[in-house]
Formats: sequence, C-alpha cells, structure tokens
Amino acid sequence: MTAVEAFFEGLSIALSWPTVGWLAVGMMLGIVLGALPGIGSPVGMAIVLPLTLPLDSTAAIILLAAIYSGAMFGGSIAAILLNAPGTESAAATTLDGYPMAQNGLAKNALAIATTASALNGFAAAILLIILSPILIEVVLAFGSPEYFLLAILGISLITIVTQGSIVKGIVAGALGFMISTIGTAILSPRPRFTFGQFGLYNGIDFVAALIGMFAFAEMMKLATQKQISQSDLDIGGSVREGAKTVFKYPMTTLKSGLIGMGIGMIPGSGATTSTFVAYAEEARSSAKDGKFGDGDPRGVIAPEGANNPTVSGSLIPTLSFGIPGSGSTAVLLGGILMHGLQPGPVLFGEQLHITYALFISLFLSNVLIILVGLTVIPYASRITEIDTTLIIPMVVVLSFAGAYTLNQNWWDVGAVIVLGILGFYMVRYNYSVIAFVLGIVLGPIAEENFFRSLQISGGEYTIFVDPVNQPLSFLLSFAIFAVLFGPFLKGRAQRLLDRA
Amino acid sequence: MLVVLLGLSVLFMVEPVVEDYPDDARVFPQLTAAVVFIGSVLLLLRNYLPEPLHMFVAESVSIASTDTSEIAEGEAEFEEPEPADENEEYTKETLGSQYGYEVNETAFMVVTAILYFVGGWAAGFLFVTPIYILGYTLWFRVNPVISVVLAVLGTVIIYLFMTYLVLPFDQGHIFDFSPFLPLLLDGVSAPIIGGGP
Repeated sequence: MTAVEAFFEGLSIALSWPTVGWLAVGMMLGIVLGALPGIGSPVGMAIVLPLTLPLDSTAAIILLAAIYSGAMFGGSIAAILLNAPGTESAAATTLDGYPMAQNGLAKNALAIATTASALNGFAAAILLIILSPILIEVVLAFGSPEYFLLAILGISLITIVTQGSIVKGIVAGALGFMISTIGTAILSPRPRFTFGQFGLYNGIDFVAALIGMFAFAEMMKLATQKQISQSDLDIGGSVREGAKTVFKYPMTTLKSGLIGMGIGMIPGSGATTSTFVAYAEEARSSAKDGKFGDGDPRGVIAPEGANNPTVSGSLIPTLSFGIPGSGSTAVLLGGILMHGLQPGPVLFGEQLHITYALFISLFLSNVLIILVGLTVIPYASRITEIDTTLIIPMVVVLSFAGAYTLNQNWWDVGAVIVLGILGFYMVRYNYSVIAFVLGIVLGPIAEENFFRSLQISGGEYTIFVDPVNQPLSFLLSFAIFAVLFGPFLKGRAQRLLDRA
Repeated sequence: MLVVLLGLSVLFMVEPVVEDYPDDARVFPQLTAAVVFIGSVLLLLRNYLPEPLHMFVAESVSIASTDTSEIAEGEAEFEEPEPADENEEYTKETLGSQYGYEVNETAFMVVTAILYFVGGWAAGFLFVTPIYILGYTLWFRVNPVISVVLAVLGTVIIYLFMTYLVLPFDQGHIFDFSPFLPLLLDGVSAPIIGGGP
C-alpha cells in the first residue's frame, strides 16, 4: 500500500461512522476532564482505556487521542477562570489568562485559548501528515539494540525534563522495568515473582498500573480538597474580540505552534515544558511593549498555541518508537499496545492507514474544539465547582470495574490500589511517576529487545556501544550518557569557571 | 519510601537465585533491581557521600537550563510539596467529626476503597457498589438525595459493565447473591441480566 493509498484509506476510516462519533465523544469528554483540576487527561484516559476493549482498535485509539486533544483545551478553562490549571500543561496559561479574567476579559481569554489551541492544532496535524514519509525511513533504520536503547533514552529524558534528582528519576524508571517483569518470562515459560499465585502469571496489566498511578493516586490527593476549585468569578468580555486577537499576533501564534511541535517531538518532554518555553520566548521577544503577568493576550496565545501542537509532536516518538512524551501519551501508548497495535515499523508500514486515520482525527478534533469551545465558554466555570466528595467514589468505582474488565483478574484491581498508594507517595517524595509508568509500559519491549540484541551479538554487551558496526546504537548510548551526565558536568564546569 | 524500594530490589535480586530462574528470565529483573538498589542506597547515604558523588545524587538538574541547584541537606527524600493553595488545607466536615472522631480524609478514602475491593471480591461489585457510594458520601455529609442518586448511578454503571461486557459482578467469591437479582429487578427477565461463567 502506498502512502497516498494509505492516506485515503485513513481518511475514509476517520470520517466513517461510528469512528467520527467516538471522536466527538472523546473530544467532549476531554474538555470536561481537562477542565477539572486534578483530573486532567491522563486520569480520564486511564479510566476510559479499559472501556475501549469492545471497540475497534482504530476507533479506540482515536477516542483516546481525542480525549487528550480536548483536555489540552479544557485545561485552559480552569486556568483562566480559577487560576487552577486543569492540566499541568495549562499552568503557563494562568500567568496571563487569570489576570485577563480578573480584568473582566474572561471570555476574551477563553476565546483566545480556543482559537490559538485549535488553529495551531490543525496546522500541526497537517504538518504531521506531511512529515510521516520521512518518519517511515527513520523508523525502518532501527533494530533491536536501538529499540532497547531508545527505551532507556526515553526514561533518561523524562528524568531530566521532570526537574529533580537524576538518581530518583533513574530509580523510578528502573522500578517500573522491575515491576513489569512480574509474571511469565517473555523468552521462556518460567513464571517470575508470582509466589505461587496463578493470578499473577500474566503479570500486572500495565493498564491497571496506569489506572492506579494516575486515577487512584490522584483521588488520594483530591480527598483533602473540598471541591475542584472555589471561585465566584463573573465571566465578562467578548468571545468574538478574543478570537480576533489571535489573528492580530500571527508571529506569536506561528512561533508558539512550532515550539510546541518541536518540543513535543522530543521523547520524554511534554506540553508542560513546551507551554512554558513558548511563554518564556514570547515574554522575552515582546518584553519592550508587553505587560506579561498582568493580562497580556500574547501570554495566553503563546502557551495555548503550543499545547495542541505538542500533542501532534508527541505522537511522533510514541508511534515511531513507542516512547511516550507524557503521562497522557503513556496511556495512549498503553491503548495502542492493548489493542494489538505495535508502535514502530508496522504502524508506518502495513498499518499506515491507521496512523493516518489518527492524524486526520486530530485535525478534525481541532475543528470540533473551535465549534464546541466557543459555544460552551459562557457556561465553562460550572464544571470546576463540583464537590470532590462526589467525584472520588465514582472514579473509584469506574477504576475498579475497568481494571477487572481487562483480564477478569482480581489481582489487577488489587494492583490499582497498591500502585495508586505507591504513586501517591512517589509524587510526595518527588520521584518521577512518568518515568515509573514508562518503565512498566516499555518493560516487556525493552526486555525482549535486550535479549534479542544479546542473541545477535553472542552475549557481547558491546553491541550497544560499537561505533563501527552499530553506529546508531553508539549514538543512542552517547545520547543517554549526555542526557544523564551532560547538565551535571556542564554545571560543574560552569561553577569551576566562575570560581576561577 | 526508600525502605520499600530497598526491600523490593533485594527481593527481585534474591528470588531468581533462590528459585533458580533460567538466564533469560533472570538477567533483566536482576539488572533493573540492581539499579533500584544502588540508586536507593545512594539516596539513603547522600549526606555521607564524597563531594562529586553527593552533588550528582542530590542536585536538581534540568535539561532546559544548565543551572543546577542543590537540594537542601536531608531534604531530598523527606521533602513534601507545599500546599498549592488554601484549598488543600481545607478540612472536610464529616459524620465522624460530629461525634468527635477525626479521620484523615486520604486515609478514609484509601481504607474505604480497600473495603470496597474486598467486599466486591467477596459479594460482587453489583451489591457492594451502592453501599460504598452511600457510605462514602454520607460520611462527608453530602445531601442524602444526591447520595442516593450517585449510588443508583454507580450501580447502573456496574450493571452495564456486567451486561454488556459479560462480567460476573453479581457473584462474589464467598457470597453469591446472583439468584436474588431477578427478584430485585422485578419485571426484568433473568436471561438478559447477564453474569459471568
């Protein structure tokens, strides 16, 4: 199947019923979940993930991606109206979005967020489709050693991107790998760490782990809060004027979109990074005439224009190499694997039409964001006034039922609780939950490719660092070293220079 | 946290030796457990490490900047994030507080979820779900009408799971109340109720 044929087949899938219906449902759900601070897209996607089991694989992935995309916009609602970002990625929007709302321009700020997010979102989706033939070539150059090293690189990047102790990040990622080895071994029929419990022979389902780490842990955190947020802010301003504002600053919009997509493409980075970088760049370049922090519309355009392109960008490492850039893409990757799809050459070869269907759906979901976003703005704040006491038991019920649905195994439900508690304390003590989740999701892939590499090399570990026969592996090993030790060594060198 | 990590990593290193796992089942978990073990030991002993190693273990590093800032002594493990806003400091009014019993909200949430899990395993989620939702919401003094509505909604969700995904949520491992289901759902014929194998 040629790329053109695959594109048109993807187009027909994306526009077919009920796929397009699931896209709309996912996008609406995403907006609502994204608007709830503390819930956000990873939690929502993790809860919905097991419910997608009866769906066709393409429809399921499109539903999850639409939730992700919708949540990116939804997160800005609470950020602007309540100064409480619905998702981490919307944190940068609060800097100027909330002051705008306080200045009586809440509708303007929400319309700016909607327009910038959607406009750049569908531009990025188009760019993604254009870039995909190049991606195919890159993906096909990778073998077992490279896939193993990419998994390590992904965790290393997450360790660095989520600020904190590098060692804690590495420990979290290795712990995820470790937990993924529970159950029957991949290359031999030997049960591991099951302690005679038949229910553990299939291991801990990574979807149950995702539900625990995101949904259950988040509910533990929300348990101490009365309601999602408390504010009596009036929504003033004009939706039309807000939408027009985005077109007054075309360079800001374009630049933030490119920053968003570029950072999204880096494995391990997410919209939290891209939105802050876009905001910082706009504040830097417009410092002369800007009122950043006091309600400058460019302070909303920049982060919101970056968030949705990050979704498109992050799909590149997720679909190409199975390395998600954030919690949400980790859940999306979980969905891809759960539905029997394999990231890498297959998704860019015989299943290219599915990949295109996903890209086209992203484009369509951004059109829907414009339509829905601009109409729900006047009612937006109601979502965030829900009492957490009502949400928590419902999420627990859905989480347990969802986890049991995976394999009809009570161990999966137990894993939700155990890993939820673990996740809660990991967040409290600054261990990277994303690195841990990535370890669990990528563990089987990393282990399989690790052993295949050793089989190819006859047990020689040099296959991972051989610059002559395995130049790509060598480059990846060097990249891992540079990522883990580079900032540290650079900081040390800088300090020595300063002292000198 | 570090004690848990150390315990788990030792278990994952020792178990393959004790149970004599073959190489292809042993190497990867032992390697990853070794990383967890070494990392945990470094974090535990960070205050006693020589300077270069101490910096590497305790420093906060970001790829976005070359600026590195050291985590305060003794803070790395036990640091807790400051409350993001006043909302997090809110103490909920509960049924227990009315009678002088103060229970931590997070602990209450976890314990009730564990009880719900055990109850669901023992008697089936279908019958335990309304009790759990009613118990949880009434403890936090939610309007009884809203509590009942939520309990009904939760039960309907479980019922839909049971019917459409053919899950045995009406059967527990200790108590089997499934024969009573047709009586509860008066007017609904038994064959469409579903239930697992």
